[in-house]
Amino acid sequence: MKLVGIAGSVADKSYNRMLLKYIASHFGDEADIELLDINDVPLFNQSDDQTEGDAVQYLKRKIEHADGIIIATPEHNHTITASLKSVIEWLSFKIHPMAGKPVMIVGASYYDQGSSRAQLNLRQILESPGVDAVVMPGNEFLLGDVKTAFDDQQNLKDERTVSFLKTTLEKFLKFVTVINDMNKPEDPGWEAEDLESHGKVETTVEGVDMHAADWVEKAAEKTHAAEGDDYVKLDRGLLTVNQLNYFLNSMPMELTYADANNQFIYYNHFLEAKDMLAARTPAQAGNPMADCHPKPAIPHVKQVIHMLRTGKTDMFRLPVPGMGADKYVMHYYKAMHDADGDYKGINELVLDIMPMVNYYLEHTGQMLVKDPDAETDAVSGASSRSKAAEKPAKPEVDEVSGASADAEPTAEPEKPAKPDVDEVSGASSNS
Amino acid sequence: MHKFVAIVGTNSDKSTNRKLLQFMQKHFAKQAEIELVEIKDLPLFNKPADKQIPATAQAIADQIDQADGVIISTPEYDHSAPAVLMNALEWLSYYIHPFADKPVMIIGASYGALGTSRAQEHLRQILDSPELRARIMPSSEFLLGHSLQAFDDDGNMIDQTKLAKLAGLFRDFETFVDLTKQLNHANEANRQEIRDLDWANL
Ligand SMILES: Cc1cc2nc3c(=O)[nH]c(=O)nc-3n(C[C@H](O)[C@H](O)[C@H](O)COP(=O)(O)O)c2cc1C
Ligand SMILES: Cc1cc2nc3c(=O)[nH]c(=O)nc-3n(C[C@H](O)[C@H](O)[C@H](O)COP(=O)(O)O)c2cc1C
Repeated sequence: MKLVGIAGSVADKSYNRMLLKYIASHFGDEADIELLDINDVPLFNQSDDQTEGDAVQYLKRKIEHADGIIIATPEHNHTITASLKSVIEWLSFKIHPMAGKPVMIVGASYYDQGSSRAQLNLRQILESPGVDAVVMPGNEFLLGDVKTAFDDQQNLKDERTVSFLKTTLEKFLKFVTVINDMNKPEDPGWEAEDLESHGKVETTVEGVDMHAADWVEKAAEKTHAAEGDDYVKLDRGLLTVNQLNYFLNSMPMELTYADANNQFIYYNHFLEAKDMLAARTPAQAGNPMADCHPKPAIPHVKQVIHMLRTGKTDMFRLPVPGMGADKYVMHYYKAMHDADGDYKGINELVLDIMPMVNYYLEHTGQMLVKDPDAETDAVSGASSRSKAAEKPAKPEVDEVSGASADAEPTAEPEKPAKPDVDEVSGASSNS
Repeated sequence: MHKFVAIVGTNSDKSTNRKLLQFMQKHFAKQAEIELVEIKDLPLFNKPADKQIPATAQAIADQIDQADGVIISTPEYDHSAPAVLMNALEWLSYYIHPFADKPVMIIGASYGALGTSRAQEHLRQILDSPELRARIMPSSEFLLGHSLQAFDDDGNMIDQTKLAKLAGLFRDFETFVDLTKQLNHANEANRQEIRDLDWANL
């Protein structure tokens, strides 16, 4: 779980900041808590809109990506500080990143009753319609007499305080789960996947026809793409574009990149289409995924993408028969994510695993034996399909084909052995 | 004639709260001298360890010291007083105490129907805290809702019922100021207590 912490002070020294730091380090095993700095946020002024400024945008981004917020508030004149109120005003003026976010309030004060009034006030402010946060009810963590509460290492001294804080935090973690579950947008369902790629993601190259055979060249020109001996900094290393190509083209498998907008933007091009396990041609790069699949396969392609996008599964496996009895071709669809966990598309890996199996058997002195209890007869399933493969018409492109058949993809003997319907095979078992 | 300081509780260039105070300044000119005070130039309060108060804050404190009372007109942001007003009150309670025993009248204007009722409640609570200890006029409230439509082109209040209420409250405030002058037996003790409040040495 990812939480952000905001201490309501811009003073050089703040016990509330110390308290949040303590919570973040002491309870690091229970939640990943990142402290957000509010020092650079200007005092709210409706006539001088700084919503687009770095300081406010930084808070917006961090809050949007967090599951919940912990606010530690000082108490000044029986209320919260102007510095904290100002932050909340920015986050309720033109943008509303706290809307629906679970919030836990804590507070430290010099007095024994400290921060109780500020906490009550803060609760009221956070629940006003422009802010619309969801504050955890009940629990109040008040750290009074704060000047004597920490030891030299900035740890809380009192065991009972620590254990109460732990209980409160654990409750909050449950609260966050419940609230976020409740707020989850209604899943539009797999039908909403747009294989025509009408949408756009931040990397989409606009103004270049996705269907064009020279999409790669045009899009490269438009983006001033690195090429040849240009260096590219990677996690973790530095390669030239040429080196990247050597590297990807020597992978013992066929790789395809489909982005989050369902646009097919790359494959490692080291074979002619006719020699590939899942045929692709150079002209196809850039196409919307709909172009790369026969119509009947579309629903199942959508189902797989949707499962990957929504995180129902991180990798979808699909054996695709039809390449001959000596081959066992696997298609792996792996979801890709950025550092924030946002979906970035699919890495499709296609390879024949039989060479590996054979190598293993040979080098360990073993052989394959049929399992008498097996329910699915994968081998015969494959060979019945191989008849289809002998026909000249090989499925055009079948990357995300036959989607939902993960469980028993080859166990649908009633399907006609016609190559372009082949994609659809075993599809519906998952839907 | 009473002399009042009127604090515009916002830094917004276009403010109906400022309009309200400007109207009062003009409308009650025969009764009292009202001086408008802006708070938009105060820096963000950061509890400086050296206890240095900005000159702009000190200037406002001096104006308040010399006034018979203070009128504060507050907008409502997120069901509470705006940060910029809270900020001014933080400076005006940090090792200076111009509000101690000072009569205060709270008013407010908002775009919506409710006319800052929640912000005024909040402000009352703040002014009542031990570091400020203002003498807020009790049991009175002037809420100007739909404030964008409340004034004509000359800045006059359109609604005569509202205006009658405001005039009544203003008279009451003048009476309250005079009464408060007699409630002076604990002034010295109050001031001493406030001076003894030293956050750094608690
Ligand atoms: C102007 C001012 C007003 C204060 N008012 C209060 C108050 O009303 N209640 C309180 O408990 N502490 C008050 N304090 C003291 C501390 O600032 C406060 O206890 C704070 O919560 C300490 O947290 P921090 O170290 O994170 O700033 C006030 C301090 C200042 C400078
Ligand atoms: C961040 C923000 C929050 C606001 N929240 C409220 C609110 O809670 N209630 C309300 O009546 N108006 C709210 N408003 C609208 C008006 O600013 C408000 O009515 C104000 O009192 C108008 O005063 P002014 O004309 O002096 O600026 C909000 C405006 C901003 C910019």
